[in-house]
Amino acid sequence: MQPAEKTVTEPAGRSRRSSRKRWDTTDLSLVAVFAALIAALAILPGIPVGPLGVPITLQTLGVMLAGVVLGPGRGAAAVLLYLAAGLIGLPVFSGFNGGFGVLAGPSAGYLLAFPLAALVAGLLAVVVLRRARRFRAGLLFLACLAASLLTIHPLGVAGLMVNAGLPLRDAIIIDAAYLPGDVVKNILAALLAVSVHRAFPRLLSTGRRAPRD
Amino acid sequence: MRGFGSTLGLYERGHGPLYRLPLPIKAAASLACAGTVVAWRSPATTAVVLAVTAGALLVGAGLSPARVLRMLLPAAPVLGILALYQGLTQGWLRAFVVVGGIVACLLAARAVTLTTPTQDLLDGVVRLVRPFRALGAHPERFALALSIMLRSIPYLAGLFVDVREAARARGLERSPRVAVTPLVVGAVAYAHRTGEALAARGLGDHEDSDQDGNGDGDGNGDQDPGATGGRRDPENS
Repeated sequence: MQPAEKTVTEPAGRSRRSSRKRWDTTDLSLVAVFAALIAALAILPGIPVGPLGVPITLQTLGVMLAGVVLGPGRGAAAVLLYLAAGLIGLPVFSGFNGGFGVLAGPSAGYLLAFPLAALVAGLLAVVVLRRARRFRAGLLFLACLAASLLTIHPLGVAGLMVNAGLPLRDAIIIDAAYLPGDVVKNILAALLAVSVHRAFPRLLSTGRRAPRD
Repeated sequence: MRGFGSTLGLYERGHGPLYRLPLPIKAAASLACAGTVVAWRSPATTAVVLAVTAGALLVGAGLSPARVLRMLLPAAPVLGILALYQGLTQGWLRAFVVVGGIVACLLAARAVTLTTPTQDLLDGVVRLVRPFRALGAHPERFALALSIMLRSIPYLAGLFVDVREAARARGLERSPRVAVTPLVVGAVAYAHRTGEALAARGLGDHEDSDQDGNGDGDGNGDQDPGATGGRRDPENS
């Protein structure tokens, strides 16, 4: 066991110059629990698809949910926390994988795209929730779809090209195998987000943040 | 699924030089192996790194060759297909470079996680974050979030099983929406409960510590999640 004093800090040296809004403990635990949710969804057995067998899992559902439920900042933080836990070796990636070895694998591009996807989906979701009163599910679906087309698929293709050494055409063909599943997962994420925002209306503040009791 | 937490963390008790090596050295060596393979994609480097990582596991961690092969089993389908594809389209040497490189990276990463207790890994990561404090990072909050995440996974997995059973009892197991909605709503509610529990204990809140002289005292309290947050979790040990 390591000595306990290794996390000794110097509270006086803590910088407070970051002007961004601090997260309170509820934000912190939302980030942590959504990271756990992504892990739980990723660990459920996935369906290997395509010639390279990169599995379809509910992992991306969790990523999209983090974005559209928590908003861009907390959503991306949740995904980053999930990635950090996975990269240091906890088996939270699909198929009980873990460790930074996955960065050399064919699915590395998809993993690295996840925080960006949550960020983009979150930004679009904030706009949708602020502006739209009707058709929210449909608009949230479009937000998720836009996020995955803008981030996950391009970076996934890039990962297939770099790590698996595939030419661009083949990489795109393999990537396309995931599109139908992605659409289904994005529809599901939008429906779930509408339910969650109905159950917790203050979760993603639109406009001013409601005062916390 | 209820006892799921016990499977988290890949550490296995054992003997060997690799177990006694400090984590920073292990991690740096392992990263260097992975970086070498990715940077120089040639058959020679791949073969050398592959031999080094396999040797580290066999000798350093005292594993049997069968155990090392079993370690690669989860990745085997992907690797097999990739090797076949590369071999048929771009030659078998190229296939060896690509697939061998991935295998070497997997082994190098696994050599670290296998021989380091999970809690030490978490502490190591928190230590790694500490230099970024000047940029506004909060290692303690990061450690706290990491340990909340780890203890939430078994809860969520159990919730998922419960919800699915409930859906099956109503004959709705075919609808993913019915199966997942209570899981997500339950996750948010759980996060709110955890957040309130943390706030009640004064953990994780650093704001406004300049208001009073007790700010430093609170700073002491804030270390605890980093130092003990995950450690008290018996499932990870």
